[in-house]
Amino acid sequence: MTAFFDILIGGVFHAAVLFLVAAGLQLVFGVQKIVNLACGSFYALGAYFGISSVNWAIAAGLPPVSFLPVLVASGVLLGVIGPFIEALLRTVYHRDEAFQLLLTFALVLMFQDVLRFFWGANPQQLGNLSMVYGKIAIGAVQVPTYNVLVILASVLIAVGIGAFLQRTRFGRILRATAENREMSEALGVNVRRIYASVFTLGTVLGTVGGALVVPTAAASLDIPVELVVEAFAVVVIGGLGSMRGALAGALIVGLMRAAAISFYAELEILAIYLVVIVVLIARPAGLFGKPVE
Amino acid sequence: MNQNRRKILKALGGAGAIAAAEPYLSFPAIAQSRTLKIGIIAPKAGIVGTIGECGLRGTLFAVDRINAAGGIAGRKIELVVEEETNPKDSIERLRKLVLQDKVDCVQGIVSSGVSLAMGAVAEEMKALTIFWDGTTQDGVKETMFNPRYIFRSTDNECEAVMASLLAIKYWKGKFVTIAGINPDYSYGRNNFAAFQALLKKFGVEVKVVADQWPKVGTLDLTSHVAALKAAKPDLIFSSLLFADLPIFMKTAHGAGLMEGGTKFVFPAAGFQHTGLKKEFTPEGMIFGHNTLYFDYKDGSALQKEFVQDYVAKYKDYPHWEADRAYFAMLVYQAGVEAAQKAKNAWPSQEDIINAMEGIKVQSLGGPGHMRKDHIAEQTFYQGLTTHKNKYDFPTLGTLDIMYSEQLQKPPGMDFWKWIETAQIKL
Amino acid sequence: MIWLRERAVLVSAVILAVVVLAAIPRLAEPYYITLVLPAFAYGIALLGFNLLFGYTGLLSFGHALFVAIGAYGAAVLSSKLGVRSFELIVLIAGLAAVTAAIPVALLAVRYVRIFFGILTLAFGMLFHSFLFKFYDITGGDTGIRVLRPSLFGNDFKELDKIAFMIGPFYYYCLALLVVLGLVMWRIVHSPFGLHLAAIRENPRKAQYLGVRVRLFRFIAFLISAFYCAVGGAILAINTGQADPELAYWTHSGELVFMTVLGGFANFFGPLVGAFSFIFLKSELMGATQYWRFFLGVTLVLIVVLFPRGLIGLAQDLWSKARRR
Repeated sequence: MTAFFDILIGGVFHAAVLFLVAAGLQLVFGVQKIVNLACGSFYALGAYFGISSVNWAIAAGLPPVSFLPVLVASGVLLGVIGPFIEALLRTVYHRDEAFQLLLTFALVLMFQDVLRFFWGANPQQLGNLSMVYGKIAIGAVQVPTYNVLVILASVLIAVGIGAFLQRTRFGRILRATAENREMSEALGVNVRRIYASVFTLGTVLGTVGGALVVPTAAASLDIPVELVVEAFAVVVIGGLGSMRGALAGALIVGLMRAAAISFYAELEILAIYLVVIVVLIARPAGLFGKPVE
Repeated sequence: MNQNRRKILKALGGAGAIAAAEPYLSFPAIAQSRTLKIGIIAPKAGIVGTIGECGLRGTLFAVDRINAAGGIAGRKIELVVEEETNPKDSIERLRKLVLQDKVDCVQGIVSSGVSLAMGAVAEEMKALTIFWDGTTQDGVKETMFNPRYIFRSTDNECEAVMASLLAIKYWKGKFVTIAGINPDYSYGRNNFAAFQALLKKFGVEVKVVADQWPKVGTLDLTSHVAALKAAKPDLIFSSLLFADLPIFMKTAHGAGLMEGGTKFVFPAAGFQHTGLKKEFTPEGMIFGHNTLYFDYKDGSALQKEFVQDYVAKYKDYPHWEADRAYFAMLVYQAGVEAAQKAKNAWPSQEDIINAMEGIKVQSLGGPGHMRKDHIAEQTFYQGLTTHKNKYDFPTLGTLDIMYSEQLQKPPGMDFWKWIETAQIKL
Repeated sequence: MIWLRERAVLVSAVILAVVVLAAIPRLAEPYYITLVLPAFAYGIALLGFNLLFGYTGLLSFGHALFVAIGAYGAAVLSSKLGVRSFELIVLIAGLAAVTAAIPVALLAVRYVRIFFGILTLAFGMLFHSFLFKFYDITGGDTGIRVLRPSLFGNDFKELDKIAFMIGPFYYYCLALLVVLGLVMWRIVHSPFGLHLAAIRENPRKAQYLGVRVRLFRFIAFLISAFYCAVGGAILAINTGQADPELAYWTHSGELVFMTVLGGFANFFGPLVGAFSFIFLKSELMGATQYWRFFLGVTLVLIVVLFPRGLIGLAQDLWSKARRR
């Protein structure tokens, strides 16, 4: 039984990590119909910058226990790059989607070298800092408290964004703009500002996600290109543009992967693609997506 | 080159083709005053970027020392550095180094896949090439059989063999069930297979209760650790060597996998040694440092000088890739100088190659030599971890040193046959 | 008769280009000659890719999958099955790619635009994982060796690899490029090609007019797969090894980059793009270790300032010059 819970929690934790990568992607696509290939790059940036921030904070005398808010703050701080990148993307909004995709691909190329320039080729990590919060015993299973915090954080973010989109005025405007941009503009919505805010929010989701997960993992140079694949698998399964889809997709992938690792380890890499294909054949738009054409 | 060939080449493309098709030409009289151009191909980005970076630092140290002492047989070294990426692009860089920059020697390469492709091409181009790494035994028969221009690093995963031997030496009779968590590519597969083959050879009966193959560079290993915990193995063998290794260590420690007396064998831990902090890396694990153990108390003055220099320059402790790179440069230098002395004039590439075969050198990590079949023999360091040191990461408390002759198959033999039949001592 | 003059200019330009390319082995330095072969390979691959992208309007971020199939096809045929005839290798590798393209296309052409791009990326990476995982068949991360093929039955045993590659193999690939280019020109100017353009402009209208949108996209996809495989086979022979990184999604990204660099709205754009990109990348890699950054900057400049690529830029300069 302990084993089962261990596996379950491992799967849910991975799902939480995947959700954090995919959330920004989904938000930006949902409103702006831009697929951001650089979502993995933002995540990596958040991870690297988060490590630096925590190291600075501790060197400046902050107690190790406070590293979590430092991480979140550093992720939010990185949001300043959002408007600049959005301004760049703005130059191709009116053009074919292919150009938007290409522009974000260019960002992937550039980010790889930016990360290497500032942080070097060595993988960076925060040692055992995450254990500062100790472990939680759930029954006979012992889980690092930090892992549970990460899971809670993703749930909070998912619920938070959902509430934001559904309940707040700004959220309603966002959804309206997503549905029908021209109509929104006609009704006086400053679409430019909306797009800039959404993209920045999407960026922050990525950077905060990267920062939050890095204590349990590491920041390495291959994150920008590797994570994109997992993020895309999640959104294809869940449905492009849907937050609920991102959560569902992440859960499915996380649990399937955990199950594969436990019962048939060789299948691990392929498990995610198998799910993608099955979902695509059964429900082409993804679980919660809207069918197009 | 025979006359017919020349005629055909002339018909096809004149000077360009001929220059390319001729083996490396040396102009002894002019050569003396020119610098010696050495091309380096090493990864800079991606997960192997850190390995390439360490290697390059070893090369720079070597070149600084050699040039300060007057160069190789009086000629100073000029480095031309290119990046190793994938086989296709790396081969283009090799061609540029050989055809465009006209380097006298090429050194580098970390990835096995690239080394296989590059080996074949370098042989065809008759370009003297010394590989730092790329030690797989798969595919070598097809691509680099009986190489003339290529010099390779140690032939099979010596670290796997040595780690296996140490596991048997220290823990024979203390483990019945084993588990493996190895990166899902040729290196990981060969390592774990070698471990199992050696156990069989020494009559250690074991049962594999878990067999994990995480994707290379996986950053989330919680599920893997959970599965390993569930299987309750007595010993875990892991050839993880990238950022996934410290992550595994952290996760395993956090999940309690290290309580309960489980034994751990990490043949390639040295690559990430500074990232494996004491808080989550207990004592008593078998760690492999390959050909350079930076904290070796009885190490040579050269090694101590190198480590001091490295720490001062890069605020980090070196791992063995720096030694591989240094060894390559050293072997080349020794070969050139020996050939020059014998000929009393600047040697041709053939002279250098002949001189390099069998040559003995003192590398950063210890003595080594180049076999006649162009495969390196070096000194390997592994042992059990200890926390009794001044660093925030474990070093080796009990140190075992073996020369690769005990760990490596002799020329021409199949690796698995060798494991079965050879007299391998513990 | 303006269009007749323009046609004459076009034909002379093409002939001039072919002559220049044929002369390169005699004029250029050996390293640059060896760079032209991948340019041929990518030129052929992109001719196919652009049928799908420029002409049909479908952006695939996974076409490196078919390049990889071509490469592995050449590898398996030459080193494992003993097939050395280059003609057979090209044909079989191409057909293998078409076969693999059928299920992918069936699923993918149900979508358009961004969904199509993401789906193809996923399929490309699925193949990459497959190549990595099933190492018994595919050689895993080390890949499979590719042996020198024979051209029209001739081994050219007396030539070493470099001489072979900047000699007979060079001219063969140039000829192959010209032939496949002519075939693509016919395809693009055929009724089929015109239908593709109509589908690109306005799929709904095309469907309304009776054009079988999905079928035509499907066929375009298969043709593009064939061309990419031929390119992949040439690449693999040039390298001597087929490895999984050929199928990675960033390689697919490079295919798109090259096409847009040259100009995807023009038939010759992809060819110009292939040559330019190869040389640009090589020079950048030699000049700085941060070449990825500068490649990215180049792409940004193209996308933002010169969306019609180098050909578009040339056309603009030409018309400006004529107006003076």
